[in-house]
Amino acid sequence: MQNHFYVITWPDVLVSLVFIAVTFGVMRYWKIGLEKTLLIGTARTFIQLTLMGFILSFIFKQEHWYFMVGLLVLMILIASYEGYHRQKLPIPYYYLILTGSLGVTVVIVLGTILKFIMDVQPWFYPFAMIPIAGMIIGNGLNSMTLTANRFIAEMKHRENEIETLLSLGAPVRIAVHNCLVEAIRAALIPNINGLMTVGLVQLPGMMTGQILAGIDPLIAVRYQIMIMYMWITTATLANVISLAFIYRQFFTPASQLRLKLLRQAE
Amino acid sequence: MTKTPIFELDHTTRIENDREILKNVSLVFHPGEFVALLGPSGAGKTTILRLFNGLDSPSAGEIRYRGENILELPITELRRSVGMVFQTPAILAGTVRENLFIFQKWRKDFNATDEELVEHLLRVGLSADDLNREAKSLSGGEKQRLALARTLMNNPNVLLLDEPTSNLDPQLAQRILRRIKKVQEELGLTVIMVSHDHQLAAKFAQRFIILIDGEVVEDGDISVIENPQQPVVRSFLNGAED
Repeated sequence: MQNHFYVITWPDVLVSLVFIAVTFGVMRYWKIGLEKTLLIGTARTFIQLTLMGFILSFIFKQEHWYFMVGLLVLMILIASYEGYHRQKLPIPYYYLILTGSLGVTVVIVLGTILKFIMDVQPWFYPFAMIPIAGMIIGNGLNSMTLTANRFIAEMKHRENEIETLLSLGAPVRIAVHNCLVEAIRAALIPNINGLMTVGLVQLPGMMTGQILAGIDPLIAVRYQIMIMYMWITTATLANVISLAFIYRQFFTPASQLRLKLLRQAE
Repeated sequence: MTKTPIFELDHTTRIENDREILKNVSLVFHPGEFVALLGPSGAGKTTILRLFNGLDSPSAGEIRYRGENILELPITELRRSVGMVFQTPAILAGTVRENLFIFQKWRKDFNATDEELVEHLLRVGLSADDLNREAKSLSGGEKQRLALARTLMNNPNVLLLDEPTSNLDPQLAQRILRRIKKVQEELGLTVIMVSHDHQLAAKFAQRFIILIDGEVVEDGDISVIENPQQPVVRSFLNGAED
């Protein structure tokens, strides 16, 4: 069968409101009490994505590398701020750590993809750079905040072990080794599970989107494979870099555990 | 000629969360002593051990180890030389042997033959058969002995004991302390033990320091607990007996 690219018009989008109407009806009937929130969410989805469409259309028309780099920096700063505020972790320099770790991860992963895998011309080609950067930033940030939380929980759980190792003369890095390993394992397991099950249960969103847009499934699959490998590398790099800075915040220069700081964590 | 003290607290204060845990304390500890630090909870006993092992630093005043300010000593050397055994022993995953070999993770020069490991186990009252047992499966008393053996692997000069027997029954506590006393005599260690049980401490220590509310209120031989002069000490010792 021939590929077709079906364009959804604005009236078509209005028709899709039928889904909201059905949901609204069910909520009313069962007195779930979420009707108002549903309507606000529906309006916000419409407004936010429409705005994003205009912004992306504007961005994709730009032809200067410094505009794209500036945009990337802005995306990293906003994402880090969001991550920093989502979880009130008592980590000194946490915002800086998130920003720096994301920045380094984006440069390495995005650089590899644009230069060595897709070989895009020019290197800042926005149709490739911006969506992939968005995926790297979103995935990296989620993973880092979960890992930081887990790491602190492990430190609290193993406080006695850490201090015993320090008391025996172990360097800080060895004393927290088990906490680092547990936190990174917990962060990577969902990604590894993703590698195991992708394509078996459901088609990933990006691939589905490409197929709907008329792309040959074999091409869409290749993209998806690259994205899957990219995700695990992103999570690994972002976590390793951020944890390397986070764990040091919990120790004094004299290799003492900052118990007060650790106990501030919920 | 007088020997250099092993530890000196020189007008030492330690503040935590705006609270003075130790208040301008001055004390001298001599090599080879077995000292019991006694006092109610929150008196600052454990704080002194943590300061000696470098797990905390003084907020004011100075602490000297063999005449040198401990803040100027390399921290890992201080900790190797001043071993600490905690109230609840942190036993690591793996066998008893792996717990004793933990030092290999950071000391490239560390090595020990099976004979040496067994010697350490026998010294603390464990046996050669324990070497390959899962450390987490040991009983409470055995875990405390393993923690002691592990600390002794560093060949320390000082042994800091933070209520090492508080989780054990009285008979087992006495057996472990007898072991510790024997090890102290064999190796010529200085032992500083925090305890809330002055009757048990009286059987092993030569010197008794009573701390109340961050201050030293008594310091002397067994008469400190047999004939307490100050009402506050009498009240603490009587309370502890209740």
